[in-house]
Amino acid sequence: MLIKLAWRNIWRHRVRSGVLFAAIAIGVWAGVFTMAFYYGMSMQRLKTAIEKEISDLQVHHADFKKDYDLQFHIPEGDTLLDFLASQQGVKAVAGRTVSRAMISAARGSAGIMANGVFPEAEDRVTGLSKKLDTGAYFSTSRRNEILISTKTAHKLKLKQGSKAVLTLITQDGHLTSGAFRVAGLFKTTNGPYDELNVFVRQPDLNRLTGMGKGVNEIAVLLESHDDPDSVLAAVRQALPDLQVEAWSEIAPELNLLYEMTDFSSYIFIAIILLGLSFGIVNTMLMSVLERTRELGMIMALGMNKVRVFFMILLETLFLVFSGVPFGLLLAFITVEYTGRFGIDLSMFSDAISGFGYDAYIYPALQGYHYLAVIIMVATAAVLSSLFPARKALMLNPAESIRG
Amino acid sequence: METVISTKNLFRTYNPDTIPVHAVNDVSITFGRGEFTAIVGPSGSGKTTLLNLIGGLDTPTSGSVEVNGTDVSHLKANKLIDFRLHNIGFVFQSYNLIPVLTAFENTGFIMLLQKASKEEREKRVMDLLEQVGLGDKAGSRPRELSGGQQQRVAVARALASRPQFVLADEPTANLDSVAASNLLDIMEKLNREEHVTFLFSTHDQRVIDRAYRVVTLEDGKVIRDENKRNG
Repeated sequence: MLIKLAWRNIWRHRVRSGVLFAAIAIGVWAGVFTMAFYYGMSMQRLKTAIEKEISDLQVHHADFKKDYDLQFHIPEGDTLLDFLASQQGVKAVAGRTVSRAMISAARGSAGIMANGVFPEAEDRVTGLSKKLDTGAYFSTSRRNEILISTKTAHKLKLKQGSKAVLTLITQDGHLTSGAFRVAGLFKTTNGPYDELNVFVRQPDLNRLTGMGKGVNEIAVLLESHDDPDSVLAAVRQALPDLQVEAWSEIAPELNLLYEMTDFSSYIFIAIILLGLSFGIVNTMLMSVLERTRELGMIMALGMNKVRVFFMILLETLFLVFSGVPFGLLLAFITVEYTGRFGIDLSMFSDAISGFGYDAYIYPALQGYHYLAVIIMVATAAVLSSLFPARKALMLNPAESIRG
Repeated sequence: METVISTKNLFRTYNPDTIPVHAVNDVSITFGRGEFTAIVGPSGSGKTTLLNLIGGLDTPTSGSVEVNGTDVSHLKANKLIDFRLHNIGFVFQSYNLIPVLTAFENTGFIMLLQKASKEEREKRVMDLLEQVGLGDKAGSRPRELSGGQQQRVAVARALASRPQFVLADEPTANLDSVAASNLLDIMEKLNREEHVTFLFSTHDQRVIDRAYRVVTLEDGKVIRDENKRNG
């Protein structure tokens, strides 16, 4: 009976209720879509970082990352690569020699990270060949080929075929340098990554550094990025003397970004709901004040305060949840469409690549996001009903009936 | 006649700390089962206040109101609501039906609050609507009914819960003479056939003429109590 009464009550003023439905639907749509935009953006960044840059797991000598000292390389790297590749859930592995270095050209120099890679293995783990903007991916048998980013090339006035010199410190601590020919220019969506990294063949770099056949970094790409913990635990158990890190430890800022984006999306929705709550309170308060005589009458007839409270609460919930499905449906359609075709932000590509983001954003949401929004809306509706309900409960039946 | 309602030294004083107004001033009176009584008096004489005190809608400043031996003036709010629900029927001056409910739903509203079974409710409601001549209007909403028809629905609603008595505050005030006469016929019939006790507050001479007992108030005091049946 309360349900029927509450439902009919909200339809007494169709225009007023309709305006509130529309406000709620648009508010929910805006909140959910914004959430999807930021979630999609951060997930894209995370996926790109894992699949193109840092991988799911990295293995180093326990002391290597303290000062990137080349003497701390991984012993028996070849055996270890085979072991890691055989682990369940591992998609690809690649060994590298990583060294801090300086790249010099006739027009300038820059501090960089020289990555000595095995081209085929590296391509499987980070898709390096697909990042090439111009040139070829270690296609010749020539020694000392180097891949630099278009940003570095522009900065140092280099182009394909130009010569550049890498200066670095050997495993023994001596300064050394070697001349490299630019074989190709790569470009990713991450500006800082492009400026920092250059790629050479591992044997070429190891010849300079005197590291022989060793590697000091092994990158591991997993089949699924959702749960690296099981593989991480197995590898850590098997390699207790080495430092084995998951992506969240290698790049904690990515983890922070992911969590902060999610959290700030909820704050954004809470702000929208706070604004909507004032509209809901206003509408419900008007509804109660207009029905003073009627509410007094039903209390006089014998409807107790608990029932009156629940009637107002139900009216508020009906009022709010009549708009929510439209908002959610609209948001779902928008998210699905833009998630498939993307949102083109290429006009801001220079600015957003500085933060590592792609120029095309693909909004995305998980089921739990929709559930969280529904819970937040329900909470807002319940809270919004309290003040009007209190007003109704404070009515004196005799005075109310008199008008 | 068995006493249903009795008041003892009943006072209801507004503004007791500033300029006291005694809306009900030391009223001690009893009403028996099956009475058809009009409480009359000029505006401000305390008719509605007395009905509100008897119906538990207002609390006396002092004195007591007993209904079937229960002192309703000292019941807590929730018990009082429950008491009203099961013992008293109300008919208000301005129809006061719930506009979003049909005549059938309005009539059965109190029985729903009482958690009566669906079968019992449907039978009782249709029976009452037939008695007030609105069996064919069960599905109509208040806006589709005339003032007289709405007030007849209000009477049916008041009786649906089989109350000890019905309090009617100016029930004919907004009705034309034909509608008022019809309503009084119905209430008189229910009083006669179902022995329902009716207490009216009224200015309306038509109601006064039909009442078996007329209690006259002035300045909150009972100044005359006339039982027309006993002469």
